[in-house]
Amino acid sequence: MTALALGVAACGGGSDSGSSGGGGGGGGGRTSLTIYSSLPLQGDSRPQSEAVVNGEKMALEEAGGKVGNFTIKYVSLDDATAAAGKWDPGQTSSDARKAAQDASTIVYLGEFNSGASAISLPILNEAGVLQVSPSNTYVGLTRAEGADKGEPDKYYPSGKRTFGRVVPADHIQAAAQVTYQKDEGCKKTYILNDKEVYGKGLADQVASIAKTQGLAIAGNDGIDTKAANFRTLASKVKSSGADCMFFGGITQNKGVQVFTDVSAVNPDMKLFGPDGVAESPFTSKLKPSVQKMTYVTNPTLDPKLYPPAAQDFFAKYKEKFGKDPEPYAIYGYEAMKVALLAIQNAGDKGNDRQAVIDAFFKIKDRDSVLGKYSIDENGDTTLSDYGADRVQDGKLVFDKVIKAQTQG
Amino acid sequence: MEAASIPETPSAQPRRRFGDVLADNILWVLMLIALVIFFAKDPQQTLDDVKTGLSNGLIWALIALGYTLVYGIIELINFAHGEVFMIGSFVSVSIWQTLNITPDSAILPIIGSILIGLIVAMLASSTLNVMIERVAYKPLRTAPRLAPLITAIGMSFILQNVGLLWRPQPDSSPDLIGSQNDYFHVFGVAIEHSDVFAVIVTVPLLVGLLWFVGQTRYGKAMRATAQDPDAARLMGINVDRTISLTFLLGGLLAGAAGMIYALYNGTIQFNQGFTAGLIAFTAAVMGGIGNLKGAVVGGLIIGVIQSISDTHFGQVWTPAVVFAILILIMVFKPSGLFGEETREG
Repeated sequence: MTALALGVAACGGGSDSGSSGGGGGGGGGRTSLTIYSSLPLQGDSRPQSEAVVNGEKMALEEAGGKVGNFTIKYVSLDDATAAAGKWDPGQTSSDARKAAQDASTIVYLGEFNSGASAISLPILNEAGVLQVSPSNTYVGLTRAEGADKGEPDKYYPSGKRTFGRVVPADHIQAAAQVTYQKDEGCKKTYILNDKEVYGKGLADQVASIAKTQGLAIAGNDGIDTKAANFRTLASKVKSSGADCMFFGGITQNKGVQVFTDVSAVNPDMKLFGPDGVAESPFTSKLKPSVQKMTYVTNPTLDPKLYPPAAQDFFAKYKEKFGKDPEPYAIYGYEAMKVALLAIQNAGDKGNDRQAVIDAFFKIKDRDSVLGKYSIDENGDTTLSDYGADRVQDGKLVFDKVIKAQTQG
Repeated sequence: MEAASIPETPSAQPRRRFGDVLADNILWVLMLIALVIFFAKDPQQTLDDVKTGLSNGLIWALIALGYTLVYGIIELINFAHGEVFMIGSFVSVSIWQTLNITPDSAILPIIGSILIGLIVAMLASSTLNVMIERVAYKPLRTAPRLAPLITAIGMSFILQNVGLLWRPQPDSSPDLIGSQNDYFHVFGVAIEHSDVFAVIVTVPLLVGLLWFVGQTRYGKAMRATAQDPDAARLMGINVDRTISLTFLLGGLLAGAAGMIYALYNGTIQFNQGFTAGLIAFTAAVMGGIGNLKGAVVGGLIIGVIQSISDTHFGQVWTPAVVFAILILIMVFKPSGLFGEETREG
């Protein structure tokens, strides 16, 4: 009912959209709910996104498509366009509007990219829909420290928190990056970033944490993602005297070209990448000589290090889809699981958007396929282990777990 | 088109004052001064930038020639040209993948496959370019100017989507030439395999094109058509065939540029033609549209500006710097550095 009211309110300007908090009266009988997923299903990200969708579907199937008395419908949307080859701002906002205007919407799973969530989040927040991302790591979506001015409040126009994630945010990843770089003997790192919300945010975090950990930063430059190559930039990196390079960015923003060009001029330089490049379209396109120098941090760990429940998931996934899951499949699975749990915990009010949001933020010590975690007041997971990966024969190979040293 | 025509006999012109000469060449002077300042600041880096810029610029020059040839003859901006170049890259990489050529193959198969890649890419791109002209531009030759402009943009999008279906993800080309290995050093600047390769393939093509347009009967027909199609037709020139020939030449160069780009950079992507096309078109305008020499020099200048800007202003600012300089050039010399050579120009 509240959802219906919101649908109408959205047309009328959405001024009273935050009013569902009291929730009195509950759903008045709506038993059919919809969970939307929005991921980039075109371009390089497609294999990864499809695996996430598979994971989400598996979790819903295991629940029999139902939570209590509520029947859950699943709709997978695409936030990418063919022309862009990756997520697109217009497409993302259209996805979010579609979900916000559907009265049966209860949870929105997505986006895959932090920059995209920065666009869909305010729209869904205004409509009071719980958004859970399987993969967003940008800090500013939930926290003020290390974020840009006005973040994260500008993403929450209703003044209430409605967003959560099941991967550790980038303040953890940045700390893990710095630890990894120091472990590998880096003294001075040159940072390049793709200027996106995610890439630049992570680059800035790494730069600021490096200072506190005694790792020198030779530079932090944005790249032109439309440039044909980065040869000039690579020689600039060389003349800076850096012994390591860190790329804050994603595969689709010329990741392979950056690594190739920097390595060509600096063959002995260790090249570090974040989870944005932890995927086969990146690793399989690197030359063998570059693969040897590549180090990647990745929230996904060695399958063996996950709890037994996860081993079950991996086996079932392989049986069902005939191949091993891409790293983020398990996060898609868990995002759906935790969303369903929130609906369940809301009890009779499982069809009330605000009640589900409240239930989500109350989740504590959940035993999941990812290990035991809670959702903190920011919507962040309390998980903090990061995987350190190397590349062999074009594939990511798990190296070790990094316990990130975050300050304060 | 008249670039390669016989130079006019110098007639008795009034003597030009020094001030006029300076005003005419002020842009050259300014660019040279900027270069000298950067050189004084960091000689080694600047030499390196100029080298990288020139070799990148050779690829822009090849593509720019396609724009300028077509504009010179039918005054149309062939927006699909960047995509024709992209198809050239895709075709050559597909050939190497089909032949299963890797950097570890023996030297003869590598050289052979590069040659095959070059020839097939050039043929594919030129055939495509001629077909585009037949289908999308020829029926509109007497239509208002806007009509072929729109069909050109349409063709560009169609081809981009063909590229997307063909290769949805960025792909890497086998590094057959050891692209970034050093070949030799000049003044401490490392000349890489890819630089030498770009020169070896590009320079003969440029010289060949200039010779073809300037010295052959077909070239003469092209120049005549560019000046006045109706008069050319009256003189017995087959104008339609001449226009097709122009598209064929443009396509040949774009195909070659595509193959070089793939080996030079190592990665190819379905939307590479858009950026490359924009830069090459800018180069053509900078040099003076319709002017062959202008397109080549424009391409080289843009290459150098890009790489110097990458170093000194940061890569994020490079497109802004390139277009700021283009605006300056247009304001001071609306017809480009070497002068426009079109029907009106």
